[in-house]
Amino acid sequence: MRTILERELLSLFRSRRAFAIQLAVALVCTLLIALRWPEGAQVDLAGSRAREVFVLFGYTLLTALVLMVPAFPASSIVRERQQRTLVLLIHSPLSAPTIYFGKLMATLGFVLVLVALSIPGAAACHAMGGISFDQQLLPLYGILILLAVQLGALGLWISSRSRSSDAALRVTYGCVLVLVVFTTVPDMFLQGNESNLAAIAGKLRFVSPVPAIMEVLGHTAVGQRGMTWQSGAPKYYVLFATLTIVACTIATIRQLSFRMFDEPRSQGVLTEERSGIQQLIRRFLFVVDPNRRKSQIGPLTNPVMVKEFRSRQFGRLHWLLRLVAGCALVSLLLTLATTQISGDWGVETIGGIIVVMQVALIALITPGLAGGLISGEHESGSWQLLRLTTMSPGVILRGKLLSVTWTMLLILCATLPGYLVMIWINPLVTKQVQQVVICLFLTAVFSILLSITVSSCFRRSAPATATSYALLMIVCVGTLLFWIGRDAPFGPDLVEWALRINPMAAALSVIRTPGFGGYRLVPHNWWIIGSASVLLLVIVMIRVRILIRPD
Amino acid sequence: MTSGDPVVITENLTKQYGEFTAVDNLSLTVRRGQILGFIGPNGAGKTTAISILVGLSRPTSGSASIAGADCSRDAQKIKKLVGYMPDVFGSYDNMRVTEYLDFFGAAYGINRLPRRKRIAEVLEITNATWMQDRFVESLSHGMKQRVGIARTLLHNPEVLILDEPANGLDPSARIEMRKILLRLSDAGKTLIVTSHILPELSRICNVVAMITHGKLRAFGTLDEIMATVTQERTVEIQLSGVERLDTATKLVKEFTAGANAVSPSGTEQMVRFRTTRSEDDLGGLLAQLVCAGIPVTQFREVPADLEDAFLSVTGREISATDNRDSDLGPERDSMAAEAPT
Repeated sequence: MRTILERELLSLFRSRRAFAIQLAVALVCTLLIALRWPEGAQVDLAGSRAREVFVLFGYTLLTALVLMVPAFPASSIVRERQQRTLVLLIHSPLSAPTIYFGKLMATLGFVLVLVALSIPGAAACHAMGGISFDQQLLPLYGILILLAVQLGALGLWISSRSRSSDAALRVTYGCVLVLVVFTTVPDMFLQGNESNLAAIAGKLRFVSPVPAIMEVLGHTAVGQRGMTWQSGAPKYYVLFATLTIVACTIATIRQLSFRMFDEPRSQGVLTEERSGIQQLIRRFLFVVDPNRRKSQIGPLTNPVMVKEFRSRQFGRLHWLLRLVAGCALVSLLLTLATTQISGDWGVETIGGIIVVMQVALIALITPGLAGGLISGEHESGSWQLLRLTTMSPGVILRGKLLSVTWTMLLILCATLPGYLVMIWINPLVTKQVQQVVICLFLTAVFSILLSITVSSCFRRSAPATATSYALLMIVCVGTLLFWIGRDAPFGPDLVEWALRINPMAAALSVIRTPGFGGYRLVPHNWWIIGSASVLLLVIVMIRVRILIRPD
Repeated sequence: MTSGDPVVITENLTKQYGEFTAVDNLSLTVRRGQILGFIGPNGAGKTTAISILVGLSRPTSGSASIAGADCSRDAQKIKKLVGYMPDVFGSYDNMRVTEYLDFFGAAYGINRLPRRKRIAEVLEITNATWMQDRFVESLSHGMKQRVGIARTLLHNPEVLILDEPANGLDPSARIEMRKILLRLSDAGKTLIVTSHILPELSRICNVVAMITHGKLRAFGTLDEIMATVTQERTVEIQLSGVERLDTATKLVKEFTAGANAVSPSGTEQMVRFRTTRSEDDLGGLLAQLVCAGIPVTQFREVPADLEDAFLSVTGREISATDNRDSDLGPERDSMAAEAPT
């Protein structure tokens, strides 16, 4: 195990990305403490300042882990598979558990360094008073390390089943989003309800590490209403995380064998070559059969756009149709369910749910689609071939942007029926809905341009996708940290300033979702996101021009 | 443009990356219909020179042109004139061969109907019609190479530049590739082919350019190269037993006055050596061996081939580099300057 561990850790710590992450964590922790360190000779005997900092400190560490840790294990096995070094490892005397635990320990080693960087900050919180070492500090670090192991095990399992690094990253971040955020959403909206669904939602939230961390931090008020707060979140989370780790470990170790490579090459049988019955079944299953012979690229169609749709696993029309249908269905079901279950909810709450779901969908899909648009071409060596064609940089960029824009547009349109129901319930919210749609449209544009700009700066799609996810999460989730600390340590002006950057917060404020209704974020947010999008467009145009021209 | 007209011309082509000179005053001319074998050790500057020719890189000084179009100024013209197959295939996932070729056809601005016809033609030329519905990523290396050549032919370019087309191919695929390249040459295409498989190149190339450390060391037809580069000849002395092998080796070493050029082989019962001495001198050596009672069964000169020529050039170059790196001072430096130009 030591052989694998040493190699993994060395390559991890040699990367500039790892250095940047460590530096960022150290800086944020230092800033948090510096912000609330007692001035002059006055000492806060109640320890309220220390607790304020500790809450933020805990959430910052949680965000840092959730954003940064999955990227490393998710690309670990699949990258070796692509570089054909995995077959050498499996062929070596090292056993599958040794390889697996070597990789897992390497991820954990990196996390431990991050955690170690935060220890001076934690010590400062403790020194300021009001923070219990064994009731708060130790459990916080315990849960964070358990979360790191859980994310590492999950990432390695997904990595062992993926064919490409960016696909592994996409699925891993998707699972992390579901695990950390989505599992808490139903309870946020169903609490106080007596139904079975509400009870299930109450249990489901314990799957996420967020309630456990909140309980440890003594910050149980966020998103909670009345007296329905259930204690014991850390205990349940530890149980679930342990089960996840064990399950992922067994599954990954079983996967790490020659079976991974023992598969025939696809013969690519066309549907036209199949029997009539098979063709009929496929037509029913796929609607648009991916294995039918494709028509030629039309004279007025951008070839790059068609190529992107055809070469992308989930870009093919049958997947797009499934996605769009799924989104429309979920949007309607969500609206229906929330109105049926909780009649006292206003359109504000329903709108809030839909906005959060839509932004999560955008944040989840866009980096996966656009993060590898240019870096993926570099990685496969096909960028050189594109440079050799007679297409201009504008045509190439337009094709790539269109391929993502059409997908996102279809998905966004599919989620709109929920708003139509809201307007039907309360026609007075028509203007608000229009503003929300503008916010979402800008979010999609911004996330597409951010991801493709990041992609143009990398030569491998895995780090490009991971960076795109991280940056988008910082904008959409990171700025919410200021909102969490809105009473203390952050003042209302600072919180409003931070939320103006966040398009999701802008949409929530427009629809008057509880907690966001008091902020005036529009049109400032539109200006900021719009300007940033224009800036990103200019940058990516320059980057593509530079990448196309002779060296 | 008629057959034999110069198509590819480089004049004092130089490319520098900071202090490092990747291509150093490269001047060569390739005529229409010729197949140029562009050979050199790894890192010699072949790919850099090719990158300049296809318009992917700009020269620091000098010029390069293809069919009258300047490689650095007329980028669009060059793209139409040249078909380039890099050593990396550059595949896209989930695309079938016809879809892949259709995309590149559209990218080169070929209209829909002629494109369909052209795809069928290039698949026919490269004997790849049978794999048109296969997924590109599922193809073997040899199949991919054929699809790669089909891709370079799509826009019917005048010049084809192929980087290591025979690399990693099995013998039958290599023979197939050779046939395809000769067929293209017969069709009037000018080809520039880089390869490390020199016997393969010597079978198809009309002209050969050898490059080391960015400098052109030899350029011309195979016969011209042999005459100018391979000043050394390889001689094999076959013995009937190994008993007198040491004595024979000692005599040959005395004759060549250089221990490194002599390689005795007990299993082959043979002494092999390289020398620049004349045939009369070699006759003298044979007489000496016979007089010493050494049972010589064969005394023959091994015919020189492209590999010998290549080794002759690169061998001297490597020894010159070694000399430069050592601490022996001006004596060794003067030896380095004697490398053939």
